[in-house]
Amino acid sequence: MTMSVSSPTPGKGAAGLFTVVSQLCGAAYLYLLLKAAEAWQVVALLALLGLGFYLLEKRASISDYALDSFARVPVLAVATAAIIVLAFPFVVGSNTYILHLLIVAQLYSVLALALNFQLGSANIPNFATGASYGIGAYVSALLAINFGLSFWLTLPIAALAATLFGFIIGIPSMRARDTYLALVTIAFGVVVQQLLNNFTWTGGPNGLVGIPAPSLFGHSFADPLFVFGWKLPSQANFYYLAAALVVVAIVTAHRLHGSRIGLAWNALRADEIAAKAQGINVAWFKVLAFAVDAFLAAFAGTIYAFYVSYISPDNFTFLVSVTIMTMVIVGGMDNIFGVIAGAFLLTILPEKLRAFEDYRLLVFGVVIIGFLMIRPQGLFPQRMRRYGGKP
Amino acid sequence: MTELLVQQLVNWITLGCIYALLAIGFSLIFGVLNVIHFSHGDVAMTAPFITLALAQALATALGASGTIWLLAAAPLAVLAVGLIGVLLDRLVIRRFRDAPAMMALVATVALGIVIRELIRHVYPQGSNPHAFPRLVSGMAFEIVGVPVSWFALLVVFLTVALVAALFFFLRMTPLGLRIRAASEDRVVARMMGIHDSRVFRATFFIASAIGAIAGLLFASYAGVTRFDFGVMAGLLGFSAAVIGGLGSMPGAILGGLIIAGIEVLSQTFVPDGASYRLVFVFLLVIGVLVFRPAGLLGRAVMEKV
Amino acid sequence: MSALLQVENVTMRFGGLVALNNVSFSVARGGVLAIIGPNGAGKSTLFNVITGVYRPTSGRVTFDGAEITGRPSYQVVQRGIARTFQSSRLFSDLSVLDNVIIGMHTRTKTGVLGALFAPAASRREMAACVDRAEALLKLGSGDLFEQRYRLAGTLAQADRRRLEIARALASQPKLLLLDEPSVGMDETETDALIADIVRLRATDPNLSVILIEHDMRVVEAFPGHVMCIDYGSRIAEGDFAAVRADPHVQEAYLGKAAAHA
Repeated sequence: MTMSVSSPTPGKGAAGLFTVVSQLCGAAYLYLLLKAAEAWQVVALLALLGLGFYLLEKRASISDYALDSFARVPVLAVATAAIIVLAFPFVVGSNTYILHLLIVAQLYSVLALALNFQLGSANIPNFATGASYGIGAYVSALLAINFGLSFWLTLPIAALAATLFGFIIGIPSMRARDTYLALVTIAFGVVVQQLLNNFTWTGGPNGLVGIPAPSLFGHSFADPLFVFGWKLPSQANFYYLAAALVVVAIVTAHRLHGSRIGLAWNALRADEIAAKAQGINVAWFKVLAFAVDAFLAAFAGTIYAFYVSYISPDNFTFLVSVTIMTMVIVGGMDNIFGVIAGAFLLTILPEKLRAFEDYRLLVFGVVIIGFLMIRPQGLFPQRMRRYGGKP
Repeated sequence: MTELLVQQLVNWITLGCIYALLAIGFSLIFGVLNVIHFSHGDVAMTAPFITLALAQALATALGASGTIWLLAAAPLAVLAVGLIGVLLDRLVIRRFRDAPAMMALVATVALGIVIRELIRHVYPQGSNPHAFPRLVSGMAFEIVGVPVSWFALLVVFLTVALVAALFFFLRMTPLGLRIRAASEDRVVARMMGIHDSRVFRATFFIASAIGAIAGLLFASYAGVTRFDFGVMAGLLGFSAAVIGGLGSMPGAILGGLIIAGIEVLSQTFVPDGASYRLVFVFLLVIGVLVFRPAGLLGRAVMEKV
Repeated sequence: MSALLQVENVTMRFGGLVALNNVSFSVARGGVLAIIGPNGAGKSTLFNVITGVYRPTSGRVTFDGAEITGRPSYQVVQRGIARTFQSSRLFSDLSVLDNVIIGMHTRTKTGVLGALFAPAASRREMAACVDRAEALLKLGSGDLFEQRYRLAGTLAQADRRRLEIARALASQPKLLLLDEPSVGMDETETDALIADIVRLRATDPNLSVILIEHDMRVVEAFPGHVMCIDYGSRIAEGDFAAVRADPHVQEAYLGKAAAHA
């Protein structure tokens, strides 16, 4: 991270224009990427992305200008983002495949943001994040199937269950470090997956089917959505639900990062002993990171379960945890925007490179290694906290 | 009842030796390089595939078939895997030696994925399991009516021989001494003129070769090999090394025996235990790490404050 | 006046190595104690025992009337002891300002629930921290305030030491432990450091300071209470002149022949 040279603060008009235009461009890019069918189109778009990055690297002032613009007109920025998110399904139309991709990308964004508390902020390895995701999904599914509880009721219960699990994994974290901790989390992940696989009441290896669709004010999420005379496919219901969850996750991440808690996590990441010497109860904050991660992951798991209406232990394997971890590493550790970008990229690209479906995992692995070798801080590295001052 | 016990005892020792060999590889690399080579299991499990391929090639080239070519191909495969280990270090792992532990960890997990996928794509019909015969067949003798196979004897013999050789090597030879010095304190070792890269190359070669032998025995024991066996083999071997204490050879052996013991016990005495064996193993791993974070025989590293 | 810090018969063993051997001393409220002694004598270990990094093999540490022997570090800080480290342990990838704000951890109280559901209060508390941190940075010598948005890892050595002290002061301690604060400083910087400490004590007469130092110029500036440690044992205690003249101290630093020359 270089020390930023004072760049001109944009005027309100320029900032407003930049904010709106840049977000629209981003939305357009996303749309094109989602619609791209031929391999050459995907490659071209990726090249464009690469070019964009190259420019950003060369001129750090661009990203400073961008962030200053957004900070200048926060209301406009949020409003633009809201309009884009709300309007996207209308633009997409009845292309349910794209909607599906967006839903999955959003859920993964939430999972990645959840993991970011541990991995990005506190540098705690957690290979069991897939397990928290799975526990959320299973608890809510079981409650709905066996006790007929509504989706909205199962949400908090599943979250609580997963958080409890998060606390349990967190306990070994108090004493174990780095590699040993990683092994503990892997062990937890395997145990949970095996148990889900073996218990009959969790449906065993075949999982659970027939999870009923949620409904809100009488409108079932399995039915198409009618808005202002427009008919959106039923996926749109889940799209908006997932988007709402993403907003919750972003707000959570933002508030925690900028608070005493976020600073404490960063401190223990940098130097545990020094952190303790500042009065930080390192053990508690580590457990907290696990708990917060599990809480959010459970929400994502619940939505996923009710969306696809069928879950099995295969959805929550070690590989899923690795995927989420990749999103955080590639996207940018401890950078909210980066993590979301990583999640979207790593959800959409593998789908687009269907031709290379068989090589998907191989490419994944190579990409991770490549990033860690060349750009370990990720696409969007963490930003220094600014408290209204520019040097 | 005694027959059952003796049978399980034989199984336990056999499996324990195999896990111990895997664990030794992990411990050796960690001890010297302070790197967790998560993909060690996958590297080890390339050995059965290379052996099969080589045996096939030999059979096609020189006619006849059968275990004779397998036995000829095996040591070649071990050598090859030793070299593969060195190559992987040069290409990838070396970059992460001084990186934060998290990064090296994730990188080697990814490396494991890459290795598995490469096996799957390069080896014909890689996605399917392939039969892997016992390297030696037949029963050697009986104890209280329980047959003990030549294979079990081979496993024990190899393990004992390798451990003894390793012990001798580390204690008595100059290179072994340098490896031990480097594992104590890499920086000081370098200052003493101990050539980093030679020590590391040797370490990776030895660890990978031992791992290859473990992989061959593992496939032989299971009777089959598959491209993703490296995941479980790696996890179990790594767990054994950690339980015993990373960096400790006796710890690796102890850990291997403990894990094998749990597997065998759960399979024998717990109804439907086979599907829960992993649960028990990993619950034990968690337990050990909570109460003895450095492992049973590991040395806790004191950080200078 | 009762002592603020009381160390009684503290022994610290690491296996066979005796790092501290039956050390006893006390520090009064508002007092300054300078600890000197050759390298490896156990001075930092003493700090580690007081601040809970190590649990002493035997002995007691009492602070402000309560026993703190073996209590975890973070609790010791909460009670009012702050320390710096011999090799600066700064949070390198965070800004100078953030480093100081983290030092205020024990004087702030926003928790997870507060941060999530009462964001306005959380922001207010953080803003207050920023103000106080900036004020602290302005106080010391050097230009830490101007560098407040630099990564702590990129600071020059003298600034690193100053930042460590600023961070320690952020928790409003009653007792400040400085471990070789003048390491890497030249004469001018050392003088500035001494001036800083003098000013600190003038602003807050109740602040007690324990100083581990090798630079006798710094020790000379606070000559009232000096203790010399060698091989883990206290070999002399008194004022600066007395300790300096003590033959055991001379022997420890200069060797037998020189001491009796």
